[in-house]
Amino acid sequence: MSRVRTLPADPRPSKLKQIRADKILYLMLLPAIVFYTLFHIWPIYEMKLAFYDYRIIGDDAFVGFKHFKELFNTPIFTQVIVNTLVISAMKMFLLFPLPILFALALNEFMNGGFRKTVQVVSYLPHFLSWVVIAGVWYEFLSPSTGAINQILTFFGFQPHDFLTEKSSIRWVLVASEAWRSMGWDSIIYLAAIIGISPTLYEAARVDGAGRWHIVTRIVLPHLFIPMVTIFILNIGFIMNAGLDQILNFTNDSVASHIDIIDTFVYRMGLLNGQYSLATAANLFKSVIGVILVLSTHFLSKKMTGKGAW
Amino acid sequence: MVGKKFTLPKLAIGLVLSLITLVMFIPVINIFARAFSHPDKVHELTGLGVIPKGFSLINFQVVLSNPIVGQAIGNSLFITIVGTCFSLFLTTITAYVLTRKNLVGKTPIMIFLIIIMIFEPGYVQEYFVMKDLHLLDSLWSMVLYRMINVFYLVIMMRFIEEIPESLMEAAKIDGAGHLRVFVRIVLPLSRIPLLTIGMFYAIAKWNEFFKSSIFLSSPNKTVLQVLLRQFVVERDTSTLVGITELLKNSNVAQLDFNALKAATIVVAMVPILLLYPIILKYYTSGVMEGGVKE
Repeated sequence: MSRVRTLPADPRPSKLKQIRADKILYLMLLPAIVFYTLFHIWPIYEMKLAFYDYRIIGDDAFVGFKHFKELFNTPIFTQVIVNTLVISAMKMFLLFPLPILFALALNEFMNGGFRKTVQVVSYLPHFLSWVVIAGVWYEFLSPSTGAINQILTFFGFQPHDFLTEKSSIRWVLVASEAWRSMGWDSIIYLAAIIGISPTLYEAARVDGAGRWHIVTRIVLPHLFIPMVTIFILNIGFIMNAGLDQILNFTNDSVASHIDIIDTFVYRMGLLNGQYSLATAANLFKSVIGVILVLSTHFLSKKMTGKGAW
Repeated sequence: MVGKKFTLPKLAIGLVLSLITLVMFIPVINIFARAFSHPDKVHELTGLGVIPKGFSLINFQVVLSNPIVGQAIGNSLFITIVGTCFSLFLTTITAYVLTRKNLVGKTPIMIFLIIIMIFEPGYVQEYFVMKDLHLLDSLWSMVLYRMINVFYLVIMMRFIEEIPESLMEAAKIDGAGHLRVFVRIVLPLSRIPLLTIGMFYAIAKWNEFFKSSIFLSSPNKTVLQVLLRQFVVERDTSTLVGITELLKNSNVAQLDFNALKAATIVVAMVPILLLYPIILKYYTSGVMEGGVKE
């Protein structure tokens, strides 16, 4: 022991020593580690059920890819994947330009009553739950008393029950998503516009540039990086077509038209008790999702320097 | 930089923005008008109406006097308040630990967090884990569910990194340990991010309905969003048992189902409307006052 003591002291404290000194830090970290392990890592590990037959008594039996084969032989599941991708793509492409245009339009108005009113009203829906939004929209689209149909009948059109018609339900999803997120999503573009140096405007004005030129030559190029980042990162989430929204806008007449992977998993797993099949569908979705998120993250990082984290 | 004079294009843009704002505003205000209308007169209210017909609070009286609704509001408030406190405390304390400079094992922990951020557990497995932990049908399941949001954790870490190291060093020289530095220095300096992230946690907890409907099945554990969904989406009026008794004591000929629905929606919106000004103040103020900065 005495010989150890005479050794020259290491200038850097050893890792072990550092850990010992930071005991309290690890104690402070413990709840988070326990929480994530119990409620996140454990359920992910349990998704191995996709490769097993579920048994109430005894151990689950390993069956390999049986449930995946069954899944892809089910015509409903193919339809479900198509629905997911179609609804996601509709939202992705149609909703992408709206916040940009909204931010550009808002930028034409100085800080003041009008600008503030528009912002206060348009940010609010982002904070409402889909249950509340559905409640508001059911009334809004009601064939008898709803605002939309009253306007339609005023102009001599037939009233429509948009929520129960297969041809319109997906548009209702897109429109209600726009209603909820357009204002809030414009914030990132507005912030980018605020960040533009005033000297650029000065220079443009000296050169005699008009309003249109300032928007197209100065403002829009500054929005390019957030635009690319957001668009690429959205692709990473294409497997999520909006479970909460669909659960609140669905009904028997249109359910098959807006049945997505998430609703399929919910129905098969939690309502019908086909745990292995539901887990296989869920795992399929998760793995594709992870690949998409990772690749879009690195793509975005390479192109714009900004990733998902 | 913004043009001061009114030009034709600007007028057109202003009109479009006003129209968009009306489309966002009218459906919500219409629900409020319906909720505050008298049941006998509510049928006169059009979809574009914004003023209650025969102002009355009867709809709220009916909804709020229902013990099931009262219980649901209580459950939602418990989950929101207790859940937000737990979430905020753990998010901040974890962010503090992860921002310490020479923490051994920081890289594996960060990789662990990225995995958590991108890999979502399955719904069936989340249900089974709650079941195995005997948390099903307990309000604590919703307090614990998504307790630490990785995105908020990262935001909190970025904020704590900004706190001058010298402040913490000075406290350490005075003999303060990590716990004391955290409580005495980090927490007081993090008031604004705590408030902002707290708002987002509270709103997410209050608005959650899917997981609540899975984890909490007995009627006395139902939360307001799930009850509202039964009412609005499934058009299940049985939750309003006891109305008939109330009818006898009021001078209302007949209750209006849509007006009651509207009143329930308004009740579910109240906490959001109370928190909304704080969000505007602390989170979006920079963007809202953008014009001034130029």
